[in-house]
Amino acid sequence: MSSTLSRRVFVVGVGMHPFGNEGIPATDMGYVAGVAALDDAGIDFPEVGALYNGYIGGGITAGVHLAKDLGLTGLPVTHVENASATGSSAFGEAVHAVAGGRVDVAMALGFDDMNRMGGLGRSGKRGLGAEDVMLPAAFFAMWATRRMHEAGTSIETFAAIAAKNWNHARENPMAQRRVDHEMTVEEILASTMISYPHTSKMACAAGGGGAAAIVASEDVARRLGGPMIEVVASQQRSETYTDGHVFLGAVIGPAQMTRDTAADAYEQAGLGPRDLDLVQVHDAFPIEELVYYELLGICGDGEGDKLVASGETSLGGRIPFSTDGGLTARGHPGGPTGLAQIHETVLQLRGGAGPRQVEGARTGLCHMAGAGSVCVVHILQRT
Amino acid sequence: MLATDPHLFRLPGDGEDRPRLLGSYSAEAGLHFWPRRKRCPVTRTPVEDVEFGPVGTLYAWTFLHVPRMGKVSFGDTGGYAVGQVDLPEGVRVQAPLMGSQHDWSIGDEMALTLFPVGTDDDGNELVTFRFEVVR
Repeated sequence: MSSTLSRRVFVVGVGMHPFGNEGIPATDMGYVAGVAALDDAGIDFPEVGALYNGYIGGGITAGVHLAKDLGLTGLPVTHVENASATGSSAFGEAVHAVAGGRVDVAMALGFDDMNRMGGLGRSGKRGLGAEDVMLPAAFFAMWATRRMHEAGTSIETFAAIAAKNWNHARENPMAQRRVDHEMTVEEILASTMISYPHTSKMACAAGGGGAAAIVASEDVARRLGGPMIEVVASQQRSETYTDGHVFLGAVIGPAQMTRDTAADAYEQAGLGPRDLDLVQVHDAFPIEELVYYELLGICGDGEGDKLVASGETSLGGRIPFSTDGGLTARGHPGGPTGLAQIHETVLQLRGGAGPRQVEGARTGLCHMAGAGSVCVVHILQRT
Repeated sequence: MLATDPHLFRLPGDGEDRPRLLGSYSAEAGLHFWPRRKRCPVTRTPVEDVEFGPVGTLYAWTFLHVPRMGKVSFGDTGGYAVGQVDLPEGVRVQAPLMGSQHDWSIGDEMALTLFPVGTDDDGNELVTFRFEVVR
């Protein structure tokens, strides 16, 4: 089931528009991110051989219209949508377009505004049926209450993960949630209850944004002369059947999906969890980050609580997670989210993450889950 | 009285006091599924229609105070509970729960019940299904 890369692929450019709630049209933020990525790579748009646009809430032609702003070069433009994993899937398509020889340079460009989006929990006239009341917030909260029942996880552990990510975002100019003080477990717990046991400051920041990444063949990457950041694994999965399989409602698949996708990625990269220096995950709610510590093999099953308490997943710890603030505080506009993870990982592997820099970072993993459900894992490495 | 989602459940029949969920059984895999499948997702072989319920065990739950990640409020209604209920056939069902979070614990026996959600354009009463604690 796992995919392979027929030739080496490198990330040569990344760009973002800050995430937030400024009311800027999503396509304008996408344009800014795309131009920033081109500038970062040092190439002009005609050299981009294929464009993969990741958006959930735009109109059916939003991607090709945005391409017209970047330039009428005639390149193939493709819309990719995979719920929260949209940007990650768009990145994967760009990677495979280069790996498979379709093009030498490809761009993945995500833009969205979660607050202007229809979809789950936003149906208008209906809104009465069984499928209209099963929201993502409820789904992840049920992961949390089950975890509390099985492993004795405390609400304070969830709050500690959220506070960590808020504090990571304080040093990220692209983040939606930037506070002027140290975020504490107490402040997280004191915020509005969303869906027990998750409070509003534990929930991901819904807003707008843009993010882009440009990937290229080895020849192009060497010609451009920047740091060589290789995509050493690009894997995507949907669900396989597991006991207690849930088919209806807002579903992020069985835990096994993340475990399997990560296993594919580790095998492809010839690496293991111990080789990672930093990790970005789909931390829409802190229960997710806690569970992903274990599903990605960073610690054993049931040991995630101790990992958080030890500070090992904070900046300065052994294996920092969500170094840019994650979905919790950097934000989760939709399409750009997975590409923001790539942006952050590339900055870290170049040594250019400023106050957030993970010392000596060489290898980073990006994980996204999308409702439906899908899982995408990329591993990037400075070579 | 009409079901909001007649592909998911049916109203109680004669002599029944609770609704039933509509699912599928794969003889090849020996597995039950809900909602109905077009074919067995494991063996790709034909499935037969079956009915489940009305009683299961609470696997997980939450109480949803503010959906859409804080952007929309229920106002005066106070929210609602949602749970995952394991049925004896090996099926896990996500559905709203009746009551508040003080009414149940994981492992409690839960049963299907009907919940009114208004009327359609012809004035027919619409009902959906929820689970409630069996006492």
